[in-house]
Order: sequence, then C-alpha cells, then structure tokens
Amino acid sequence: MNLRRFLGIDIARERYAFAQDPAVGYISAQKTADRWVKTTCGYCSVGCGMLLGVRDGKVVTSQGDPDHPVNQGKLCPKGLAEHYVLEAENRARHPMLREGAGFRPVSWSDALRRMATEFRRVADKHGPGAIGVISTGQLVTEEFYTLGKLVQLGLGTSNYDGNTTLCMSTAVSGYKRSFGSDGPPGAYEDLTSADVILLIGANIAENHPILCQHLERNRAKTLIVADPRVTKTAMMADLYLPVRPRSDLALVNAIAHVLIRDGLIDRDYIDRHTSGFEDLRRFVARYTPEFACGITGLSPELIERVAHLYGKAQAGFVGWTMGVNHSSKGTDTVTAINNLALLTGNVGRVGGSPFSITGQCNAMGTRESGFTSSLPGYRKFENAADREELAEIWKIPAERIPARRGLAYPDIVDAVLKKEIRALWIIATNPLVSFPNIDVLKQALGELQFLVVQDCFHPTPTTELADLVLPAATWGEKEGTYTNSERRVSKVNVGSPPPGEALSDFEIFLRIAQEIGCCDELFPGWQSPRDAFEEWKSVSKGRLCDYSGMSWEMIEESGGVQWPFPEETGSSPTSARRLYTDGEFETADGKALFCCAEWEPFPEQPSPEFPFVLNTGRTVEHWHTRTKTGVVPILEKMAPRAWLEMNPVDAKTLALRPHDRVDVISRRGTVHGIELRVTEVIAPGQVFVPFHFAEWNINDVTQDMFDPISREPNYKQCAVRVEKSPAGLPQ
Amino acid sequence: MELPLLIRAREDGEQFVLTPFNGNDARPADACLIPGRLPTPGEQYRFHLDMTQCIGCKCCVVACNEQNGNPAEIQWRRVGEIEGGIYPDTLRHYLSMGCNHCLEPTCMTGCPVNAYTKDPLTGIVLHSAERCIGCQYCTWNCSYGVPQYNPERGVVGKCDMCYGRLTDGREPACVAACPEEAIRIEIVDIAAWRQDYVSQANAPGLPSADDSISTTRITLRDALPEDLGRVDVARVEPQHPHWTLVFMTVFTQLSVGAIASIALLQAGAHLTTPHFVVAGIVVTAFLALAASTLHLGRPIYAFRALSGWRRSWLSREVLFFSLFSAAAVLYALLLWTGSALSEAPGIAASCLGFAGVYASARLYKVAARPAWNSRHTILEFGLSAALSGTLAAALFLPAARSLLAQAAACSAMALAIQQLAKVIALRSSREFERRAAGDLLLHRFRWAVLLRHASLWALALTLTARHLPTPVLGGCLIFAIAIELLNRWLFFVSVVPKSMAAPYLSERRAA
Repeated sequence: MNLRRFLGIDIARERYAFAQDPAVGYISAQKTADRWVKTTCGYCSVGCGMLLGVRDGKVVTSQGDPDHPVNQGKLCPKGLAEHYVLEAENRARHPMLREGAGFRPVSWSDALRRMATEFRRVADKHGPGAIGVISTGQLVTEEFYTLGKLVQLGLGTSNYDGNTTLCMSTAVSGYKRSFGSDGPPGAYEDLTSADVILLIGANIAENHPILCQHLERNRAKTLIVADPRVTKTAMMADLYLPVRPRSDLALVNAIAHVLIRDGLIDRDYIDRHTSGFEDLRRFVARYTPEFACGITGLSPELIERVAHLYGKAQAGFVGWTMGVNHSSKGTDTVTAINNLALLTGNVGRVGGSPFSITGQCNAMGTRESGFTSSLPGYRKFENAADREELAEIWKIPAERIPARRGLAYPDIVDAVLKKEIRALWIIATNPLVSFPNIDVLKQALGELQFLVVQDCFHPTPTTELADLVLPAATWGEKEGTYTNSERRVSKVNVGSPPPGEALSDFEIFLRIAQEIGCCDELFPGWQSPRDAFEEWKSVSKGRLCDYSGMSWEMIEESGGVQWPFPEETGSSPTSARRLYTDGEFETADGKALFCCAEWEPFPEQPSPEFPFVLNTGRTVEHWHTRTKTGVVPILEKMAPRAWLEMNPVDAKTLALRPHDRVDVISRRGTVHGIELRVTEVIAPGQVFVPFHFAEWNINDVTQDMFDPISREPNYKQCAVRVEKSPAGLPQ
Repeated sequence: MELPLLIRAREDGEQFVLTPFNGNDARPADACLIPGRLPTPGEQYRFHLDMTQCIGCKCCVVACNEQNGNPAEIQWRRVGEIEGGIYPDTLRHYLSMGCNHCLEPTCMTGCPVNAYTKDPLTGIVLHSAERCIGCQYCTWNCSYGVPQYNPERGVVGKCDMCYGRLTDGREPACVAACPEEAIRIEIVDIAAWRQDYVSQANAPGLPSADDSISTTRITLRDALPEDLGRVDVARVEPQHPHWTLVFMTVFTQLSVGAIASIALLQAGAHLTTPHFVVAGIVVTAFLALAASTLHLGRPIYAFRALSGWRRSWLSREVLFFSLFSAAAVLYALLLWTGSALSEAPGIAASCLGFAGVYASARLYKVAARPAWNSRHTILEFGLSAALSGTLAAALFLPAARSLLAQAAACSAMALAIQQLAKVIALRSSREFERRAAGDLLLHRFRWAVLLRHASLWALALTLTARHLPTPVLGGCLIFAIAIELLNRWLFFVSVVPKSMAAPYLSERRAA
C-alpha cells in the first residue's frame, strides 16, 4: 500500500470512475467499449445472443443482445461474466510437451510433428483403430465438420466420439428410434404457446434460466414438473410430481395407459403417421395408475390428472434434460416420451413437441455435422446410398467411409484399458472430472502410449496427464456457428485474439492435416471456417438439417436461423420452424414408431451398507467441470464449493448438523469433506451433490453403468453412505 | 410532461442531470419496469421485488458488479435464501436486495461526515466517496448490510439505484438483467408508505423494516410455510475485531477515569498528583485517539468526523474526546506550572471525558447490532473507565490508595456481575441476533468469557487486601488493562449484526 492510499488521498478514483458509453449508457468506465461484436454465448445450448464490448483489443464486457429472439437481451450470470474467461491466468498459451514430471514449451511445428509421429507409430503397429479421439460439444460446427473428416478419413480411425455421449446421446438415440432421425422437433416458441408443459428431469430455472422467460410469457399454461428433488423449477410448477428416483419411465408409460384407456388420443394422427400402436396398447395395458403408483410413489389420481391435463391440452409440450438422459434406461424413456407426443399428435405442432433441452452450446452442431454416431447430415453409417452420396461430394472412394460406427466414449475408455487403443486425442473436454467412476479412467489413461489434450486451459486435471498439450482458442476468440436446442444456427464471432501462441481449433486441425498429409485431399484450399461452412452446407443439402439456404451474414443478421432452411425455402429466416409438421418422419416408411419400453429399477439399489441414493446435478453459477466458471471470481464467490443435500430426518439419524463436513462413500470411491446442507429439498433416503467441483469430485463415487444404446452413463442414481468426516482432515 | 430538471453537481465532480422521461422512448418493453415519470413532491422511487418471480439466478448480482466495476468481494446487490415446508411441499424463495433507499436511512443519520444524502427529487440514498472518510460506521448502522467497505479505496460504497442510468431513462442494471422481471422501480407515496409499510416492506429473512422504514416493496406468495426462514442461521461467524478501536476505547476510558479520579481528589481532598502523571495520562489519551484514526480508510481526513455532530454519535464522540484532550492538556500545563487555577480545567476535563465515554458507548447502540444495542454497553464502558482509571490514579496517589483500590475492587465486581447479566440476557432473548451473540459467548468464546470473569473476581479480591505495595498495584493495573482489552475484543467479535438472509454456503472459502 502506498502512502497516498494509506492516508486516504488516493481512493482509486480512476478505477472506480464512470463514463457514458454511447451504446449502453452510464456505466463503470472500465466497461466502456470502442466496438461491439455480435456473438452467441458459449455455455449452454439455450443459445443466447450476445454483444461483446471490446476496448483496445480486449473484451471488457458481455451483454445480452436485445434483438436476439432467444434471450431478448437477457443472459444468465455465467453469460454476464463470460468475458473474464478470456483473461484467465491458466489459459493455455504454448504447446507443452511432457518432460519427466513436468512440461516444457515447444514450437507448434515440433508439437504437431511429434503428435503425427506418435500416432503413425501406433497406427503402423496396431492399426489406425488404435487411435482414439474424444471431442466435445464446445467447438463451432465448422470445426466439428473439419474434425470429423480429419479423424475418420485422415487418421483413418472410427474410434471417435464426443463428450456429448455424457450428455445428449440418449436424446439422439431416442429421437432416432421414434422418428428415424435425430433432431428436436419443436421451438422455444412452443413454451409460450403450449397450454400444458410437462418437464421431466429438467431443472431449467437452475440450468437454462433464460428459457424461463419464454415460460413466464405464457400466463395461461399449466406447468407440471417431475423430479425427485424439489428443484427451483419444481417450485415454479402448478403441479409438482415428486417421483422416486428413476421411476420416470413408469410414469410416462402410465400416462400413455390413461391416454389410451380414456380415449384422449388422436386416432386419426396415429393411423396416418405412426406404426406399432397396437403393440404399444397391449404393452402399456399393465401400466395402470395403480401399478405406476407403486413405482413412482405418486398417487393413481395424480397420475390420472396429469394424463388428463396432457391429453386434453390444445398443445402439450414435454421437455426433458439430464434427469432422463443420465440413465441406463434413458433411450427407452425418451422413446416413451415420444410415444406420448405421437399418441396425442403433439409433434410438429405449434406448442406441441417432445423437446430435449440440450446441454452444451454446440452439442447440436456435432450431432448434425460431426462424424461420430452418424455420418454428417444425419446420414447413417449402415446406409450405402448415404455413404456414396458423401463420397461423391468429397470426391473420395466410398469404401473409405466406414460402414459402421466406431466405439462410443465409454467403450473407447474400455478399449484403452484393454490396450486396444494406444494413442488418444482429447479435445476441449475434461473427463478427469466428468467421467463416471474416474478411477477406471485414470487407470486407462495411464496405459496409453501417447495422450494429446487440446484445450484452452492448462493445467486442468486432464491436461496434467497429457504427453502433449495443444493450446486452443476459446469462445470469444474464434468464428463459426453454434446450433442451439431449437435447431437455431447462430453466429459466433471473434472479440479478441487467443493468448500467446494458442490457435483456433480449426487452424490446429488444418495444421495436423498438413502434417499427416491429407490436407489437400480433404480440405483443398481451405483458409477459414467459412470454407468448412460452405462445404457443410452442400453436405446438409436435402437432409433434415438442411443449411443450404443460409449464409453467415444472414445468420448473424437474423439472430440465428432455425434449420431446416433449404435454398428454395419460402419462409423468412426469422420465422419459427418445426420438424415433422406434415407427419412425415425420417423412417423408411415415413411413419413414426411406437416403442415399447419396460421400466426397470436403477442398477445399484441402496443397501444397508450404502443406504442412500445419490443424485448429481448443477448449480446456476457453474458450468460443467468448472474450467471456465472456476476462473471467474464473481461466480466462485457466489458458489465457492460443493455441498451435499440431505433430508433433516436422515441428518438426525446420522447425528449430523448443518455445515458438518461429510464423506460420501460408494463401492467405487470416496469424496472427502463435502459441506452438509440439511434441507427439505431432498427426500429422505436420497442425497444430492453438484458435479462441478474437481476438489470434491462426485464422479469418484458415481457408477460406470451405461445405457445399452446411447452409451450414456447412469449418473443420476447410485448407492452411497454418508459419514461425518474425521476431524483434522484438510477441508 | 413538464417537470423541472434537477441539476446537482457533487463535490467529486460528477454531475447528475435528471431529465424527464421522453414519451416516445424507443424502449417500450422497458416502460413497465421503471416508472414513466419523475416522483412529484411527497413521492420517491423505490424497488419492488416480486419474490414469486425470482428464481435465484443471481443475474442481478453479476449485472450490478459489471455496472459499477466492483470486484467480486463487493456485491451491492445480493441474493439470499429462505426455505420452509416439508418434502415434497418444500418452498425456497430468494431475496434479491440492493439498497432499500429508506425513509429514515440509518446510514445517513449515523454518518459523521455527511457523506450520505437523500436525493430530494428521487429519494435515492446517495453516498459520496469523496466525502467519505472510511469510518465504516454506516456499515454498522444499516440493518440490511447495504453499505460495504472497499479496502482498495478506503471508502464505503453502495447501491444508488443506478442513478446515472435512471437519469438516462434506462432501468437499473439489476432490473435490466433480470430474466424474470422480478425487480422493478416504482413510485411510492411517502406519507401513505409510512402508514402501511409494515405489511409490504417486511418478509421472512429480512430485518424489521421499522429500523429505517425501508421503501422496497416485496410481493410474497399468498400461502407460505410457517417455518419459512433464513437458511444461514447455523453458521454465525465472529465479526472483525477492529483492534484499533479495542485500544482506542480501553485507553480513552482509562485516561478519562484517571483524570476524573485525580481531579476529584484534588477538588475534594486537596490531594495533588505529581505533574508528570497527568502529562502521561494526556499522552495516553492522545495515543489512543491517534490509534483510532488508523481505523479509518482515510486517516488524513479524520478531522471531518466533527462535521456530523448534530446527529451522529460518532461525531459527538470525536467532539467530546477532542475537547477532553484540550482540557486535559490545559490541566496538565497548569499542574506543571503549579498554578492554583488548575482545579477548574480538571473538573471540566472529567466532565468532557465522561461525555466522550458516553458518546463512545452510545454510538454502539444501533438497532442493526442488537447485542450492542443495550444499556450494558454504556455500563460496560463506564465501569471500565472506573476500574482502570482508579487503579491508574491509585498508583500515584499514595494518600488515597486504599480508597481508590476499594473503588476499583467495586468496579471489578460490578463488571463481573454485569458480564454475567449480559450473557444471560443475550442468551434468553427472543431476538435471533442477540441469542446468536449469546451463543458465541457461551460456546465459541467461552474460554475468554470465563477467563475474564475469573480474572475480575481475582482482581477484586487482590484489591481488597489491606496492604498494597506499588509493584502489586502496578501489576493490578496491567492486569486490569489486559482484562478490558480482552473484553473489548469480545465485544467486537461476538456481535451478530442484523442482515438480510444470506445463502446457505458462506462465501469465504473453507479455512
């Protein structure tokens, strides 16, 4: 402290001065901008439009874009503070190569040469399938498209998947089964126009708060929320359904039962646009409200009331998120939700939609254009015509396009453990915090010959294990497009350049392609993501996710454009679009399919030794593994650490008091020293811990059990016990 | 609409120009979030929080910090939690609060330097960083914990309802950021509000609006669980010890007590004290007062603290102690010169000194700090002066030693009884903050309470001895000072301030 400050002459006047900004008015002088950059938020998949205030080449503020149709000027607390991410101290700045226990900076050419050499060595010895790639939902679509080609055609491995498998793959699988293709059919506008909204396992007030304003605009709605925990969203509901953990499928089947039993179905729609109705009718016959009552804990009358509300709605909207997806019965549950929509004709209608609310900012982009669980443009690996179509566009022999999907994320980890995959490239994800039962993953990564981690931060728990760290640009530093939950393609722009030597992921992919010698073939003459966008447009043409009528400029100007938007469309870019409005689905016969999905108890039931059901989830201040939000002081201040929610009844039995430090123990591991929150928000017998915190990593405890179809982990239920932490533990 | 423009230049050079709202404003959506007109005489602006709409997303907190350029440690708008009910009929609500722009702002009445003004046109309570000296007295006075001290600046800051944005016809940052339109600005009729604020300004988790007549209107659900209340009650943390104030209060009280003892004995029994003693006491008083300026964020402007004497007990404390010091200096000088006129200044110094001690105690009697807001504070400060003052005097007045020692012994016993009474009163109070303070004393700081209690009795016992050699008496004085320093530290750390409900997790990282 200098003398002038000590005496009180200096009161940091300059730092705390205010100024008049021409765009936003009177504001802290630190936050005035000399130019504004339109972009889209890089956190969740609500897809809020943003304005970045840039001064002297630095992003000083992020504000909601008042003209954007998604958020109309609002942002959640993460978005409002997103610019702080760019200046974080632990941004990755230079390529780093492992040297003993540490790292040393190397040049890009050395780094990429080393990566190519190591990958080639593995491929030569074990075949290209011994290279695995795990990507993300955080890149721009142009990068996903480029990466897909680079991995599948350049590196020649199909063992490529995204962290979207930890998050949205269940919705993808469910949509594919019911409708023949991925793609959420509705629009946010439906939240405003539906008269009954049923949210299952979706805590939008915490996780997608900006969607709430669409809900709020709908004054006439009946909001029904099914969740085992009394979440913020549950407290907003007109009707809250406190279901037992993972009983959602029984609830949904029972609703179908009542709809059919009481004739609340659209028979004409069913006859013309669906198949499998008779099978479903026979199947749900046993899901009487009484039967479901025994599973869900909801009274038969309540279940009937919900079914009647939904069945009699002019437009019924069903939304779901991770409560449904994070389950080993997730795909089945999604198809059962789709059944409800099909039974009542609530697909492709204004207000009526079975709507999966997506997680990451561009999970949708990788679903459309990535080359992981399907071929780009929702094409199928198994379909020869699809492969030939792509081969023609890409001017390569069709044989080079794999005829079946490679390994999914958890199976890649498994293959690493079995030494079938020897080299791994992880891009923009932090599995050391996000993967279930992390011990297994840690062991697997230790088996690798070479691990490349490409990230905008270093160190992270994952980059610390890498042999090579590639520093990447992040949101706010690169250009391209994101697709949000309602299939709205929005523009992402550059506010400031990446720090140090970091490069955009697109640039890194092109340089790697050059290094391994496939650049001219796969990416001829490509200079910028725009080249990828143009090619992707032609690949998407004629598909469900048709981009061919879009341009970057149009997207930016319209505040995003919902696909499908073919060249010869008659509609305006800004109008809301839905899928399957004509009742024509993407199946072979054009009809949607009723799938019969039997409820099963979740795999690891509580026992005397592990008496609690552990549920995991989020808090509004943080994002995923906290690599981004953990560097934003205001968010850290508001949500500084993990907590464990426990009902007062259980706390009393265990003689635990509020704010005690407790250990959570499962068959797989222990998390030490979590702060106890005694609350009636959680039911007796259940506990809840947020999953953001590497310091109290609940995924040390969660179960590595996966959905058989989507391969998504069953994060939401496992059996644990809770004990008071031994005194003297570092807390 | 023809309304007068208010042009007000502040001493820090910021100029607020409040322009009438333009009827054809290009932001129709905003129109309902802020009033379309200026308040007329008898009206003011206020916040409205619709608790049924708030989802606790904390957008308002981030937007406020971004607007005002505050670091993460300072949040002029905060979001607290209240919870109640039984699973599955559980309810949690969120309290998003900035400043309540009260009708009787306690921050303003307590401020010794007139850094606060209540804007005559809008009723917004404004704070001037330029005028502020960083005494933080307002942070003790506000029941809601609104003013916050910024150590980087050495001054306090607070929510000004985004005055600068309002004058542009824009909503405050929190209002603009709220995705649920849960926060609005309204116009309130001041006279009507005085009549009916009780039902609309109070909410579970908020301190009583009576303290300052908060103007924020809160909309609650019709049916609320009976047990709906704050979630942060199980984590009462000790407050800042304010060491400079610990020393300042103990040693000013010692000086006042000693001067008074000496002056009284001089007047009553014509006993004279060696002149260096009074000089020494004066130096002690000066050092104590000088130390207190280190409590200020801007010590160089300490003199400004005199300016609020009309309403601030802090100003009065400074005033009386300044006068006391002046009188004591005069007294010391006259004693030094052997003047016969020394008696009057001695008595004057004693009176001014006790007025200072009273003001000193009185300033802690604030509604926002219930454990301080009692007669015990005045008693404690007065008895402390009696105990340490008589002991100090006894050391240098052998003729009155036994009398003074008896007085000190009585003071020590009185302090011990007072301490016991205080803890019992706090612990059995119906008010949460008093009870919590009592709990801190009984549990977390039990060792200190017991130590002081036992020490006071031991001291009293020692002082009743028939023969007290000077070294023993000196030891007793040092011991008494130590006991009182311990007690004053307890006084500061064990107070539980009123505040709005906080979130369940404390912000501080677990130690």
